[in-house]
Order: sequence, then structure tokens, then C-alpha cells
Amino acid sequence: MLTYIVRRLLIIVPMAIGISFLVYLALDLSPGDAVSRMLSPERTVDPAKLAELRKALGLDAPLLVRFWIWFSGVLQGNFGRTLTGGVPISRILMERLPATLELSVIALVLSSIFGAILGTISALRRRGTTTDNVLTVAGMIGVSIPEFFFGLVAIVVFALNLQWLPVGGRLLPSYTSYWDHIPNLVMPALVLSIMMTAGVMRYARSAMLDALSREFIKTARSKGLPEWRVNLLHGFRVALTPVIVLIGFRLPILIGGSVIVEQVFQWPGLGSLFVMAVRNKDLPVVMTIALLTVILVLVVSLIVDILTAIIDPRVRLGN
Amino acid sequence: MTTSDVALSVKNLKTFFYTNNRCNKAVNGVSFEIRRGKTLCVVGESGSGKSVTAASIMQLLPTLSRIEDGEIIYHSERGDIRIDTLPRNGSRMRSIRGSEISMIFQDPMTALNPVFTVGFQIIENLYYHTAMRGRQLKDKAIDLLRAMGIPLPERRVDQFPHQYSGGMRQRAMIAMAMACNPKILIADEPTTALDVTIQAQIFDLMSTLRREHGTAILLITHDMGVVAELADDVAVMYMGNIVEAGTVEDVLRHPTHPYTRALLDSIPVLGRGRNQSVRAIPGATPDPLNRPVGCQFADRCTHRIDRCDRMPEETQMTATHRVMCWRHEELANAPR
Repeated sequence: MLTYIVRRLLIIVPMAIGISFLVYLALDLSPGDAVSRMLSPERTVDPAKLAELRKALGLDAPLLVRFWIWFSGVLQGNFGRTLTGGVPISRILMERLPATLELSVIALVLSSIFGAILGTISALRRRGTTTDNVLTVAGMIGVSIPEFFFGLVAIVVFALNLQWLPVGGRLLPSYTSYWDHIPNLVMPALVLSIMMTAGVMRYARSAMLDALSREFIKTARSKGLPEWRVNLLHGFRVALTPVIVLIGFRLPILIGGSVIVEQVFQWPGLGSLFVMAVRNKDLPVVMTIALLTVILVLVVSLIVDILTAIIDPRVRLGN
Repeated sequence: MTTSDVALSVKNLKTFFYTNNRCNKAVNGVSFEIRRGKTLCVVGESGSGKSVTAASIMQLLPTLSRIEDGEIIYHSERGDIRIDTLPRNGSRMRSIRGSEISMIFQDPMTALNPVFTVGFQIIENLYYHTAMRGRQLKDKAIDLLRAMGIPLPERRVDQFPHQYSGGMRQRAMIAMAMACNPKILIADEPTTALDVTIQAQIFDLMSTLRREHGTAILLITHDMGVVAELADDVAVMYMGNIVEAGTVEDVLRHPTHPYTRALLDSIPVLGRGRNQSVRAIPGATPDPLNRPVGCQFADRCTHRIDRCDRMPEETQMTATHRVMCWRHEELANAPR
């Protein structure tokens, strides 16, 4: 098991390099660069000056050289500075990362718990009952309506009309303690978890139905076990494996979703930073976020594999 | 036969399935008795209602089916219990399941939960039906595995089903079923999924348990060889009815119902050579949702007469031997 984990961790390195390079390449192929974005389209600027600026920012070197300069910096723990403003990226990350993690982790926990519970309830109420029908329709709505729509509706209803919750933002200057921003957190966290809750629920329902139709459920009943034990121990335990795998694979989607939700609620996290950086062609920032995401996804998939092996004895790691 | 010899009586049991507003009379008026410490074999082809009969006794029927009529009476030491009137998963039914009547299934691969150790699954049974707790439970589980002939039970007890071979899984399954020393063991084709060499071992184990613990066995099978080997009593089922029943002598030596005869004729006999005529039963079983009105076997029967358009009555030929055929008298006197 340990050798397996070490091997998987080592695989992360080439994967991260490869994927970062692809992202770098894609950004390089798109028209324009950071300098052209800084300019106002109305004014004509001396091309010599532009070239000078490009040189100062290191944009004149060939692609591979630029990638290497950036990457060797990262290896030394130096993520560079933003092209627009020259702020050290590590400092921006320190500000932004907690905001995104806060949102994603809460959404992940909420959607895993509620998704699994609702899916199980839906499966245990037999097909055709009102509970099952309502949950099935709700699940369908949840996975098919995009997050920004839920976000906007939530803002209109709860922030503008009812005025229960703030429209957006995270830490306002007037806040004195950490707990003051909880009202700001409610809407983005819930909206972000809607789609995933629905996804987990639908999956948990079918995994549970599958588990309950298996022969060992009949065996468990034939032993005279109470129904809760038959369903929740024998059924749910077996249904849990595919659900955990799904949750793991959904995590990248959750991060992708947070880009949109952060925009909608003006949440100062990595998502809104990412959108801004792409617009400004701020390559070092985009690359850093991409690299973080890649590593996160790879680490999560490793954790999922380890968890499945712990939960399901049939899965053996390694071979 | 006095009632004290009987462990379980089934009287005129009817279990129907309802799918798409149509009714499948899977078990349509079946009566039999399981004698204490004896083996009753129920034979018949797929779809004859054998397994549904067994599931009815355990009240382990699928959601869309129910016991429509009849009685299932368990003659326990504390008096008779009408099983068919108990709520399906209620506490009284649960206290019988696994402790007084237990069941083993066809495929031990799927019948054991893959994510729990074999020991855990045996202990569960003990925990809910005995006063044993803690270390006692595990020791008992190890003893049970040892009694079932599983080598190194101390180590095996902590292993998962996928670490067992097919035959050992069925032994573990039997250990689980026998944990609380039940009065009746229902075995639903327990060796169909196993190798032939393992089959004999499993049946040996079952007869040993029956002798040592006086457990009555209801064995569902379609293997006439197994019937000849193990049965004390035999019931032959066809399309939801018991067409012939009696002691193993009655049914195998003096088969009367044309279906029983056809079943016995369709078995190749060792030593008769390659050219022996194995007579397969002509035709196929009727559509269960669209059954004939009269004798269910009439369409395939070589002895068919006009009267067969009506359902034949059950006739007691001797004290133990009964048959459901209009022409039983002629047939009983006619040699096979």
C-alpha cells in the first residue's frame, strides 16, 4: 500500500508538468498578450516602446524558454509576480486560496452528506411513491439548471427582496470577527452545492437500488436482522463505494463551478482571480492556478483510491 | 403421522405475483409437511414455484408478490405459529428467521455480503438471536467454521468472502444458517453454482448436520440423483402445484403422475450404454400469465383425456402417497 501511494505521488510530477505545458501552449496560441491588454485601443503607442515593455516582462523569449523560466521559478517556490501590477503571486494566493477552499470544502461536505442521505431515502421509498418522485424531479432540476441562474435567483429573492442576506462579497471592512461573514457565505456555498448534491443524490439512489436488489440483502433478511440494519448496514455500505468514487471525480467540477459562483457573488477567491487573469492575459497567475488545480485533482483521485480500498476489501491497491 | 413429528405444515398455500396488472399464480394451492429431522426434497423444473414456496415460508417474497391464501404453520416448542399471518419484517417473523428456520441460497458468491468478513456475518446472526456477547461471539463463529470443515478457522474468520473458494463460501453460508441451531434448514438449490465434486461434500455436510442436530431440511433441487441420495420425502412440483408427493420410496419406486414419470425417464442411467433412449419431455412449460384452465401438464402429457381440461383433484393413494391426476388409478397399475 505504501509503495503504491509513493508511486502515485511520483506520477503527479510528470502529469503536472505535462498539463501545465498544455495550458501554457493554449494561452500562447490565443491572440494578444498582456501588453496588448494594458493598452487603450484608442491611443496609438510607439511600437518600439511596446517591444521594450515586452522585453521587460520577459514576453519576447521563445515559448519553451518562457515556460522553463516560469517552471524553474515554481520549483524554487517562486510563483513570480503578476504582469499587471507586479504583485507577488504568492501573496495573492495567500489572500485568495482560503476564500475558495472555504467555499469548496463547505459545498463538498454539504453536497456529499445531503446527496447521500436524500439518495438513500429516495431508494428506500419504493419507486412511484411521492417522496421518490419529488426527489427525482428535484434531482433532475438540480443537475440541469446552471449555477449562475440559481445564484441570480437567490440574490434577487434573498438579498434584494427579502433582504435576509448580503448580495455578495466576503470580508467587509466593518467586520470585526471571522464569524461576521457567515451570512455572506450562506448563498454562495448553497448555490455551489446544489448541482453536486443533485448529482450525488441521483447516483446514490441508483447505487442503493442496485445494492438492495442483490442476493446478500435477502441473506441478511433471512438471518432475522432488523430492516434498518439490512438497508443501512448491508445495503448502504455496499452502495457507498461507487458514491465515494463519484464524489472524488466531481471535485474538479466543484472547483470549476466555483469560478462561476465566485463571479456571481463577488467572492474574492481563486475563481474570480482566474477569470480576471485570463482576461488580462496574466500568464503567471493563470498558470499558477492551473497548476494548483492539476495537483489538487491528482491528489484527490489518489485519496479516493485509498478510501475505496479501505471501504471495499475487494479493491486491492497496487496490482 | 402425528403432529408432534411435524416441524412445519403448509396447507393450500397460494402465492401470487402481480406485474403490470397481471397475476402470476406462482404457487397455486400447495400442501406439504416437513417432518422433524427429516429431509423433504422439492423437485421440479425452473418456474415450477419451488423457490417461491421456500421464500413464502421465510416471508422473503419480492415486493410485488404476496401470500394470497392458505396456512403456513410452524410447530415450535412453544406452540404453533401461523407464519403467514405475521407481518413480513415484524419482530416476531425476525425472531423466527435465522434462529428457528434458516435458509441457504443457490450462489454463495452473491449471497454473502462482499464488504464484511465471514466472521462478522456469522456473528450478526448470533448477536440477534442469542445472549452471547463480546469474545464469546467470535469463539462461537470460529467453532462453527471448524464444524463445517473449514481449515484454519481462527484465520478464516477474519477473511472476506472473496478470499474463500466456492465450496468454502457455501460452508460459511451453512455455518451462518446453522449458527443458532435452527429446527428447519431451507436449502434453495445449494449446489447449483458449485463443482460436482464439491456438491457431494456439501450434501454430506448437510446430512451430518441433520443427524447430529435433528434439523429438518427442505431441499429444493432439480437433480433426481440428489433426491434418491438424500430425501426422506419428495414433492414434485409443476407450474405451482404439487403433482405428486410421498416418501422417497413412493415417488421413486412407484411414480404415478405422468410428469414424475417423464422426469425420471429423462435421466440418463449409467451403464445402459450410449444408445439408451433418454426421453425428453415434449413441449415447453405454459406461459405462467396465461395458464391452461385444467391440468397444467395436459398439453405435454401422453396420457391426456378430455377430463384433463378440468383441474384434477388431489388423491391420497396410500397413507403417504398422493397424486394430482385424473388417471392415477390406471397409471398406478400400468407399468412404466
